[in-house]
Amino acid sequence: MIDDMLDITGLRKTFQEKVALDGVSFAVRPGEMFGFVGANGAGKTTTMRIVMGVLSPDAGQVSWQGRPLGFAERRRFGYMPEERGLYQKMKVGEQIDYFGRLHGLSQADAAKATTELVERLGLTERRGDTVEALSLGNQQRVQLAVALVHDPEVLVLDEPFSGLDPLAVDALAEVLQERARGGVPVIFSSHQLELVERLCDSIGIISAGRMVASGTVDELRSAEGQRLRVVVRDAKPGWADELPGTLTVAGDRETLVVTGGDDQEILRAAVQAGRVEHFGTERPSITEIFKEAVS
Amino acid sequence: MKNHLFLVAGREIRAQVRTKAFVIGLIVSVLLVGGLAFAPKLLGGPDSYTLGRVQVPELQLTTFAPDIEVEWRQFPDEAAAKAAVLDGDLDAALVAGNRVLTDGEIDNELGLLLQSANREAQIGASGVTITPLAMESVGADTRYEGARRGVATVLVLVLFFMIIGSVMMVAMGVVEEKGSRIVEILLTSIRPWQLLGGKILGLGVVGLINMAAIVVAGLGAALVSGVAADFPPGMTGIVIGALVWFILGYAFFAAFAGALASLVSRQEEVGNVLQPMTLLLVASYGVSFYASADPTAPIASVLSLIPPFSSMVMPVRTAAAEVPLWEVALSGALMVAAVAGMLALGARIYQRAVLRTGARVRLAEVVTGNKP
Repeated sequence: MIDDMLDITGLRKTFQEKVALDGVSFAVRPGEMFGFVGANGAGKTTTMRIVMGVLSPDAGQVSWQGRPLGFAERRRFGYMPEERGLYQKMKVGEQIDYFGRLHGLSQADAAKATTELVERLGLTERRGDTVEALSLGNQQRVQLAVALVHDPEVLVLDEPFSGLDPLAVDALAEVLQERARGGVPVIFSSHQLELVERLCDSIGIISAGRMVASGTVDELRSAEGQRLRVVVRDAKPGWADELPGTLTVAGDRETLVVTGGDDQEILRAAVQAGRVEHFGTERPSITEIFKEAVS
Repeated sequence: MKNHLFLVAGREIRAQVRTKAFVIGLIVSVLLVGGLAFAPKLLGGPDSYTLGRVQVPELQLTTFAPDIEVEWRQFPDEAAAKAAVLDGDLDAALVAGNRVLTDGEIDNELGLLLQSANREAQIGASGVTITPLAMESVGADTRYEGARRGVATVLVLVLFFMIIGSVMMVAMGVVEEKGSRIVEILLTSIRPWQLLGGKILGLGVVGLINMAAIVVAGLGAALVSGVAADFPPGMTGIVIGALVWFILGYAFFAAFAGALASLVSRQEEVGNVLQPMTLLLVASYGVSFYASADPTAPIASVLSLIPPFSSMVMPVRTAAAEVPLWEVALSGALMVAAVAGMLALGARIYQRAVLRTGARVRLAEVVTGNKP
């Protein structure tokens, strides 16, 4: 079963004195959208560059379908680097076509793939323009087209959504989900945690060169445990002093958030303290899990 | 995989040939070289004379100088002829009593021609015929020495500017790809040597197109202007040789420049990092310029064998003087070996440096160190 995954095992990388990666491991299944999150400088880009062979690791390895990744395998990957790279003076259509040819497509196949992508990404009217004449959002679309033109087996995208307006984000997300449904593992990094939560099946959180959490969204959320949220109005002062959790006060409303603890006991205390406006369990958002994991 | 080399080369050619800079550069150099072929004609002495005569027969000047044009005008008396000379309408006037009137000292060539023609006419009138002397050189053929040096001088300039122009394009292309990180995407689908090699190949073809246009324009203009008549024998060989040497010299310096350029990430740093290459190229230019004036000097002979100087000195030397064939063959073989060595070293440096963006990469690190 492990055979059809993209496995990243024990990556280590040191730049001069600075340890960039300290044993990074995770796996991405076919058809899975894997969101890679972490603070700036946590090691996301370094990990992705090692996956793509742009950097070589000091230790650890990347394997695909059970075999260590080599040049021949990576040629069938699609890659979008963090700092976008396109020929500024080359026309959109020619550029997409050129990268298709470099990835080994025949002239006819490259032309066909270019036409499809240009239409799919809404660039039809821009096809004959040079890249430098495009808006940033459109340049990003071309960049994505360049990563997709050879119908890659794996997609590795570094911050594909940064700098895009909401409509462009939706369009791009749709294209990625379509590829994932076709069985392609998609790794992308992002700072937009809500977006990651909405799109991803799995999430990896990296902090200071280490993976601090990784798994499916459900796994991560249940691992944090259920939380109880109680909102009490006009409460007696000090009613929650004996209870676990954190209390926040906003005007005459007091909110208690508790992880674990005896919910019945808390409910009794709340009812005695004042008017209970809200009482319920909730699961943490990815943003909360991220803050928890990184702190 | 070879296919990728040509894909990269094809992109470079298309990208260059479509730019305004390429078209304008081509037109300017064609005009410049074409104009150069007319220069000797414009700067040379007068080839036609206007002469006057007063009651004396015309002298047959063209017997002695078939190239010149002579126009004779007849005047009724000496005073009228004298006035015409002073007005500048006539170069000289032949008047009775075997006298020649001029305004100031007579043009050297014209004086000799008039004297010879006069002698010939008088001897002919007396019924004596003379057999003219036949000239025969038993030393080296030096008839074309001046012309050969002229051709060599033009060659030095063309070679130098063509090589440095094309080589700078390679360096700037390398930095463009590195600086914009396109190289990260490119190198997941092709090998570094294919990327650098394709760029060198493509821009070399562009350079060759330029070079061919200049040669065609130069030779064409020379034929039209009549300068071609003065060309030394073996001009075709010199031109073909120059193209071959251009390819070798370009390949060497382009690989050198590509490797050096891969050390930096910004266009502003290109000039600085290319310095070792520029120095070597300018030194080659200096020596070949010297060789065009003094092709038999020892320094010209020695450096026409040593790469990369030979790529510019040898073509100039062969244009300016006779060079034994074995020297040309040896020089060519050494240069081909140097090109192969530089391509291998350049590819190695390039491969190790081109993905290391940010601060300038130290050369020693990439020549000896491991992959990033």
